[in-house]
Amino acid sequence: MKLNTNSIIKQCKPIYLLLAFVLLCSHDLYIKMDSYFLKPNQEATLSLYNGTFENSENIITRDRMLDASLVAQGKRTAIDPSNWKDQDSIITQLTFKTGEAGTYVAGVSTKARNIELTAEKFNSYLKNDGVLDMLQKRTTDSLLNEDAVESYQKHVKAIYQVGDVKTNDWNTVLGYPIEFVPQENPYDKYNGDTLEVQLLLDGKPLPNQLVFADFIKNSHGHTHDDESNEHEHDGQKHSHEHSTNTHKHAQEEKEHSHTSGQQLRTDAKGIVTVKLPEEGVYYLRTINMTRATDSDELTHRSKWATLTFEVSHAHGANSHTHEHDTESEIPTWLFVLGSFIIIGILVLIFRKKDN
Amino acid sequence: MRLHVRRVLFILPLLIPIIGFAHGVSSADQELLHTGGLLAYIRVGATHMLTGYDHLLFLAGVVFYLNSFKDILKFITVFTIGHCITLIGATYAGITANEHLVDAVIALSVLYKGFENLKGFEKLNIKAPNLLFMVGIFGLIHGFGLSTRLQSFDIGQEQFLAKILCFNLGVEVGQVLALIPIVFLLTLSRKHKQFPAFYKAVNWYLILAGVALFAYQMYGFFNGH
Repeated sequence: MKLNTNSIIKQCKPIYLLLAFVLLCSHDLYIKMDSYFLKPNQEATLSLYNGTFENSENIITRDRMLDASLVAQGKRTAIDPSNWKDQDSIITQLTFKTGEAGTYVAGVSTKARNIELTAEKFNSYLKNDGVLDMLQKRTTDSLLNEDAVESYQKHVKAIYQVGDVKTNDWNTVLGYPIEFVPQENPYDKYNGDTLEVQLLLDGKPLPNQLVFADFIKNSHGHTHDDESNEHEHDGQKHSHEHSTNTHKHAQEEKEHSHTSGQQLRTDAKGIVTVKLPEEGVYYLRTINMTRATDSDELTHRSKWATLTFEVSHAHGANSHTHEHDTESEIPTWLFVLGSFIIIGILVLIFRKKDN
Repeated sequence: MRLHVRRVLFILPLLIPIIGFAHGVSSADQELLHTGGLLAYIRVGATHMLTGYDHLLFLAGVVFYLNSFKDILKFITVFTIGHCITLIGATYAGITANEHLVDAVIALSVLYKGFENLKGFEKLNIKAPNLLFMVGIFGLIHGFGLSTRLQSFDIGQEQFLAKILCFNLGVEVGQVLALIPIVFLLTLSRKHKQFPAFYKAVNWYLILAGVALFAYQMYGFFNGH
């Protein structure tokens, strides 16, 4: 049997392309829920997606978690590590009861880990993950050929709404090394609005930092079972792989990045204004990277942050803003009486005309 | 069909108090919806129908043309199916439109019914569209108007579908309550020797009210009322 090597190479091209990207990109970490609108005292699941917002590739082992907390009714509660479960070795999940109505915050903070990358892979990762300032600096400083040893840590938050009562926990600062803090309750926002979010680095506003914000559409922004959270960037479904000591990235054919959606930059107060054009689940991500000039082992340090929340549609946004312009309605009896008078006059007119 | 312009101009100002208040919902309703549970949705739905004069005028126009109770039941059923589809569907899917534009189209449906009842199409030598079909179409439009109104309230996310269904149920209750006196008056009037003049008067009233409501809604649309 003669092997057609050209044909094999052709058929395997997607695999080669996939493998070519396996080592190029990183993992984002998100707190993800099927719906961020929950009912009081209902059972809900909170998932840690380590990969992209659509696909998780790895679990988060408990020893990596520096903190895992839920904040509600002004009280912060640590999540018992034993309550986390791993599903299919790719998603770490917490099943919990929601409790009273209110706006809740969930947060997870992970320990720093190191990663070694060749210069080429590091440059590619900086590009694909939107760490563009560092890439620019490496270019300017003629360091593009320098291999990297990076220390990275991830700090993620989600804000979800239980019931209809809005409470003030949405702006809770969890004290993570880097974290997003909304300046307004996301659940007071509807599609078409904007949301200001402040980025804190070690508790202080972080100015001039690139932030990426994207969303996935939901069929409805309310608690209608919507399992279809997959989405596509530029028509390409994608997935990512990122293990503990290598950056991995599985991709289908076309190169893509983690930088889809709105590319924003924090202002002097560390604030970005995120547009909320449609209802759906929004996720913000940023990687703050610095050169590790004080370390013999490391070349770079990075702190990653994400924030997720859901936005529902505006009720009657196109027509009015929840204000009703009929406060001074006339009573039905007056309408009926008025109608009778008008009809009576018309009857007289037509009777006269017919006669 | 002919009516002197001066007479029309005399009647139109009388409609002003009515057209200004074609829907009777308020922020009190919003509060009621917040605190009253599902029953509140039934109540607000019924109130909206009973004070939603454009819906009532259209309904009056529909039943005015019909002679038998069986026909009334048939046409009202079609209208009800139509408005249920869009009321539930559009609200659930979050589809909305400018309230003034939707209400303007509803106003045209009132005008249409008066015009049709007065055999306007015949007089213009135009074949009138199928009556039952048109009532179904207008049912869809009225339902969308009801949906737009419901969506103007902040109804929260809990029991979302149940709330829509309860509002819809309230609308049906309101519709039945409104139809009872309308059908009763209509039945009485048919026996009266002045019925032809009354018939013309009511349907001309529908045309005038339709025009006035349409103008009012378009004014609201362009002036951001």
